[in-house]
Amino acid sequence: MQEATLPAGLIAVRSHVIKDKIAAHEDDDRRLARACAAGDSSIFEEIYRRFGDRMKSIAYNHLGNVPDAEDAVQDTFIKVHRAASTFTGEAAFSTWIYRILINTCYDLLRKRKRRPEESPIDDVVETAKRTAPTVDDTKRLTLRRLLEELPEQRRTVFELFEIEGLSHAEIASVLGITEGNSKWILFATKKQLQMQWKQAR
Amino acid sequence: MNIRCEQLEDLLLEGDVHSMQLAARHASVCASCLEKLTEWNEISDTAKSLKTTWQSDLLWPRIERALRAEKRSSWQSRTMKIAAVVVVTIGLAATSWYAGVVRARQEFGKEILVAVDDVESRQKELERAIGKLENLAESKLESSGTPLMISYKEKLMLLDDAIAECQRNIEQNRRNAHLRKQMLAIYLEKQQTLREVLREGNHESNH
Repeated sequence: MQEATLPAGLIAVRSHVIKDKIAAHEDDDRRLARACAAGDSSIFEEIYRRFGDRMKSIAYNHLGNVPDAEDAVQDTFIKVHRAASTFTGEAAFSTWIYRILINTCYDLLRKRKRRPEESPIDDVVETAKRTAPTVDDTKRLTLRRLLEELPEQRRTVFELFEIEGLSHAEIASVLGITEGNSKWILFATKKQLQMQWKQAR
Repeated sequence: MNIRCEQLEDLLLEGDVHSMQLAARHASVCASCLEKLTEWNEISDTAKSLKTTWQSDLLWPRIERALRAEKRSSWQSRTMKIAAVVVVTIGLAATSWYAGVVRARQEFGKEILVAVDDVESRQKELERAIGKLENLAESKLESSGTPLMISYKEKLMLLDDAIAECQRNIEQNRRNAHLRKQMLAIYLEKQQTLREVLREGNHESNH
């Protein structure tokens, strides 16, 4: 709607700039994948610097404790190294890594279900530094408990959108679903949480 | 744009900035929708506070070590795969070479057997011819008592012993060409001796 008010020349320039940016992103993604496949350790360090914090947060919110989250991040790097040659460039490199990470987290959660005594949940919440410490701990704990009870896909869509700030397009790419599906899952999950939210507090 | 209460969920489903602004505008004049929207936003705000990060000085070195170990093990497994391929290739080459050798030996063995059969059939022909000469010479040897005939007789006995000995050796090694040549030489010598006996016998009877 906003673009309709812009002159045609400016729109053309903007679309060129966007295309150039997308092409640059794709080139960068392929460079990262190629270097990963070649086992270039400096690239892995670059990936860790660029995506490490978000990877830790995603893993932590899926697994609920720092040691398991760090194990998942480490396993993800190994899997990226093994699978880098299969990266096709259809998705962004970052979403490809998040997909591997989330699958790794699912695997760990399934293992934990088989051996529930092995991984305590929420044991080190205090040691982890939250980026937004203004919300009170009771609400946080309530939401965390409610999230743990959600099915895997619903929980992941909610966490990636609401906690990590990924767009529906990115979530769709990570989970291999459509954007509309991601939107609908988020809405249904939030409605479910809203009902439980009242009862739980 | 006027929003009705029933449209609030559609706006929440859309969830983009513009839809949320419209929802907020409606909620500012609708108490029940305000409550719903407040809870909705409270969940989102609480969720944002769950974004967690921590300083972990040991994590990257740990990942680096794991990657190094992974590279080492993938190199080893690649080396093992190459070694396995080399071993299999050598094995296949050796097997096909051995099979070729065996086949060649079998072919060669067949050729030798054909040659041996041929030699033996010629030997039998020679034996039959010598046998005929022997029959003719026998009466001459029996009837004559001259020293020459006696020495021919002894020579023929020696040649028969040599033939028997040679035949025994040949039966143990049918393919031995040297024994075959030796046997042929003895037979030719016997043939020649028998001819001499016949010639000498005829000479004696003429006198």
